[in-house]
Amino acid sequence: MEPKYVSAEMRDYIVSMGAETVNWCMQCGLCTNLCPWRLVPGETSEKFNIRHMQRLGQMGMEGFEDETVLFACSTCGMCQTNCPRGVKIIDNVRGMRASIVGAGMAPANLRPILGSAHANGNPWSGPREKRTAWQEGLDVPAFGPDTEYFLFVCCHSCYDPRSTKAARSIVKLLQAAGVSFGVIGQEESCCGESMRKLGDEELFQKLAQSNIELFNNKGVKKIITTSPHCLWTFTNEYPELGGEWEVIHYTELLNRLVEEGKLSLNAAQGKKVAFHDPCYLGRHSGIYDAPRALLEKAAQDGTVELSRNREASLCCAGGGGRIWAEVPMGERFGELRVTDALEQGAQVLATACPYCMNMLIDACNSLDKQEELEVVELSEILAASL
Amino acid sequence: MEKKIGAYICTGCGIGDALDVAALTKVATGEYKVPVCREHAFLCSEEGRALIRADVENEGVNALVIAACSPRVMVDAFDFGADKAVERVNLREQVVWSHPAGDEDTQMMAEDYLRMSLTKAKDMEPPVPFEGENLSKRILVVGGGLTGLTAAREAAAAGYEVVLVEKSDQLGGYARNVVKLPPMAPPYEEPQVFDLEGLIGEVTGSDKITVYTGSRIEKISGAPCMFDVSIQQNGSQAAERVGAIVLATGAVPYDASKLEHLGFGKHPDVITADQLEAMFKAGEVKRPSNGQPVNGVAFILCAGSRDPEHLPYCSAACCVESLKQAKYFKDANPETPVYIFYKDLRAHGNYEFLYKQLQKDGVFFVRGTVTGVDDDGAGALAVSAEDVLTRSPILSESVDLVVLATGMVSTASLGKPYKAQQPKEGEEELEVPADTILASNLLNLEYRQGPEIPALKYGFPDSHFICFPYESRRTGIYPAGTVRAPMDYSRAMDDAAGAALKAIQCVEMTAQGKAVHPRAGDLSYPEFFMQRCTQCKRCTEECPFGAINEDEKANPLPNPTRCRRCGVCMGACPERIISFKNYSVGIIGNMIKNIEVPEEDEEKPRILVLACENDAYPALDMVGIRRAQYNPWVRVIPVRCLGSMNLVWIADALSKGIDGILLLGCKHGDDYQCHFIKGSELANIRMSKIKETLDRLVLESDRVRFEQLSITDYGKLPEILDGFASDLEDLGPNPYKDF
Repeated sequence: MEPKYVSAEMRDYIVSMGAETVNWCMQCGLCTNLCPWRLVPGETSEKFNIRHMQRLGQMGMEGFEDETVLFACSTCGMCQTNCPRGVKIIDNVRGMRASIVGAGMAPANLRPILGSAHANGNPWSGPREKRTAWQEGLDVPAFGPDTEYFLFVCCHSCYDPRSTKAARSIVKLLQAAGVSFGVIGQEESCCGESMRKLGDEELFQKLAQSNIELFNNKGVKKIITTSPHCLWTFTNEYPELGGEWEVIHYTELLNRLVEEGKLSLNAAQGKKVAFHDPCYLGRHSGIYDAPRALLEKAAQDGTVELSRNREASLCCAGGGGRIWAEVPMGERFGELRVTDALEQGAQVLATACPYCMNMLIDACNSLDKQEELEVVELSEILAASL
Repeated sequence: MEKKIGAYICTGCGIGDALDVAALTKVATGEYKVPVCREHAFLCSEEGRALIRADVENEGVNALVIAACSPRVMVDAFDFGADKAVERVNLREQVVWSHPAGDEDTQMMAEDYLRMSLTKAKDMEPPVPFEGENLSKRILVVGGGLTGLTAAREAAAAGYEVVLVEKSDQLGGYARNVVKLPPMAPPYEEPQVFDLEGLIGEVTGSDKITVYTGSRIEKISGAPCMFDVSIQQNGSQAAERVGAIVLATGAVPYDASKLEHLGFGKHPDVITADQLEAMFKAGEVKRPSNGQPVNGVAFILCAGSRDPEHLPYCSAACCVESLKQAKYFKDANPETPVYIFYKDLRAHGNYEFLYKQLQKDGVFFVRGTVTGVDDDGAGALAVSAEDVLTRSPILSESVDLVVLATGMVSTASLGKPYKAQQPKEGEEELEVPADTILASNLLNLEYRQGPEIPALKYGFPDSHFICFPYESRRTGIYPAGTVRAPMDYSRAMDDAAGAALKAIQCVEMTAQGKAVHPRAGDLSYPEFFMQRCTQCKRCTEECPFGAINEDEKANPLPNPTRCRRCGVCMGACPERIISFKNYSVGIIGNMIKNIEVPEEDEEKPRILVLACENDAYPALDMVGIRRAQYNPWVRVIPVRCLGSMNLVWIADALSKGIDGILLLGCKHGDDYQCHFIKGSELANIRMSKIKETLDRLVLESDRVRFEQLSITDYGKLPEILDGFASDLEDLGPNPYKDF
């Protein structure tokens, strides 16, 4: 076998692109063991080993650029939260992807996505002027100088027909609670969280700068996000670029309003409901209790917990840009999640993230379980309980 | 003084409920005519002890037979002074707790144990401690490196006079050439400066420490508290008398000339870790080939260690030492590429933080086997390896220097095997495997068995690593630091303090005539009835501790302060002339003879169990504590070590009609667990001779069995004892029974 060459230059380049802790890894392999890819069969599962990928990175050795390997990680954070060395594994993945994507070598299937985000400010090839189409029939206030909260609706919920239901539900709930909120509309751009995870640092910077400029000019102080991904990047990545606001996910705000007596919910959901913790709401942002408290209020017959819950929740596979990946049936994490729900006797699987919704609905359909299990956004259940 | 026996039967802890105590009393007062015999429901209580004390004071009782719990417990409660012989009858753990209450056979067992102990009490004497002459409590430290200096300082700080002998002209040893030590304090991320001069100053400035530099030990004769040391100092002679010795002569790096496969000797820029340390010490880190600065370095760990072709063991310190040296480079210039090729990175304890820091510093850690160190074609070197973590061969970038972390070789291993005495022509080769003693010219002991401390594996001085890591096989001599085992600086300093304490323990115990270890405090010691000695040399050869020298005529010359009181000499002596005051061939033989053997038609077999006091006997107690049951035919006699078993006991037992004999000893061979190193092995060798005895008596050899047992094996004991009883039943009763 031809030897592989160690390259300090390549290693240092990867580090400079964001893989700052790749050298901290002592190669114990806990990450690989905890990785959800171990739970499914198939080519990606066989090829992708996060421990090995980081090894190649820390040696500056070729091999990590294989697209099946480099873009497999869904950034669920299961490995990272358990790493004994405190390695920021997701940053390392991002840095390694950036070293390839930044050089103009994004995989073919991602180019239209990134291109759309560049051109339209969203990855869904939706025209800018259609960004507010989801509001049709609702009286959604525009954000003005006297508005308390700016409601930032995830691109997915602006354009995806199924996902708009969540945005509409949230608006109804906020209105019912008398919250002062408004949207900006067409000038908003995608938060860029997934773009950055895919390694397109330049695109992320562009989107972020545009949003920061817009929000600051409009006098935004507080933001409600519909998606945990937007929440995470606004909270963790925007501040160092100049975007410093009080950011809250809708579940936390609504829970607070319920506690304060400003919002009352009448249990309307008669089926057994389980809650799927989205990675970016749970492991990445530490929000586990608010959605559960809300669900308890809305579910007549109470709720059931999935066997893998809270910190141990299993990823839907939609993060890290994986929402755009083509994955064969039988290899989708969401299928395991649907099975988890059915095992607990749930009839409804609720979640609070547009990506999770997307992935879980697909999985439910591919397993042909849509008759037995309904996948819904938490906000929809809550809105129905008003 | 006339012996007066008092027998005391405790009826507490269930003894009184399970046994007919009146019948027991009758055994003592009737059969054995014991003048004083009392029972008490709580003998170890203040009241019970007052009862005994009153008899000692008023009745003149001076030999006490305590029939109560195991001799392993309540030792202090039943101590009535060193001049009173005390014998314990284990009625609790080994009779009533392990056999059915109120049963005829249980009662017979208790009565037999009482008979055996009464016999022993009649035969034994209270030990009189050995008193040497001109005793010294000074401590000799051999070697003035980090370990030796620390041991000297610690011993002096505890108030003992120290004689420190160092081979070179300066104190400090290997540490003299060391720039910094690995971190020993938080945050454990940086090498730290060590004040060696301060330590040397403390030693040379102490009025308790006599320092000999440029010196070596020419000869050490004598025994603990009476060692006479001849020191050669630059041609002149000095003599010192000391009580105990700390051996701290350290280790040397493995010979790198044997590591040509790693480029040593082929490329001038391949050097060893100690050479690199010297470069840093001198402040001149340059490529040996051309004197140019080093702009890239690769460390190869386990260079010669954990390698069956070289040193099979882990040298324990090189991983951390290499991390430390890598840190030197990174501190000098963070951009310098540094590679570390390793098998396993053993950065134990807080050294993990140093490892982590160097990962953060960007060192390339490569796990796998180095397959080549080659010229890169441009005058520098490239290292190729099989990288385990990518499962592929890899090639490093070019480096200017390759550093081999060579392992440690104990200075005790540097010497030819010493053979005490060649067998003369026609004389058969000794059956007992001789100890490995390497003539390493460190201590030059005038011991009959050889001039240095026996070694076990790889030339390291042997210690009973499971239980007593500080011990050597020579009482009063304590190896410490890297001469004893591979270790790093900080552990060597701990080791030094430990050895100093062991040496202090030795001189204090020895001065009182007590055994040091493992029978700490034992006042008895072997006495030789020389008129009947046949100069067979068995005792001198078989003593595991080299305690017995011999004169030109092969008469044994015992050194009681070297002795560990195991009785291996007693087991070896064919003339049975070696005895302790409270343990002898006669005493145990009479105990065996006082076991009542029922006639054949009673169908009550008898089994003699000789059980090692260190593991097997406590395991038998454990069986009782766990309330497990075994057959009532066994009669257990604890022995100091199975190596003290004399074959005549076997003959005594069998000719008396006892059906079988079970020997319970410790694991022998590799990783032996015998407290006395070779006792169990010797017993096993002597077993082979039992066959002759049995043949002479026309008895089956299956009647004697040897079992290796560790203290944790108590769960297996009932099965072992009952299995043996069942096998004996198959053989049928001993035909000598009714004679």
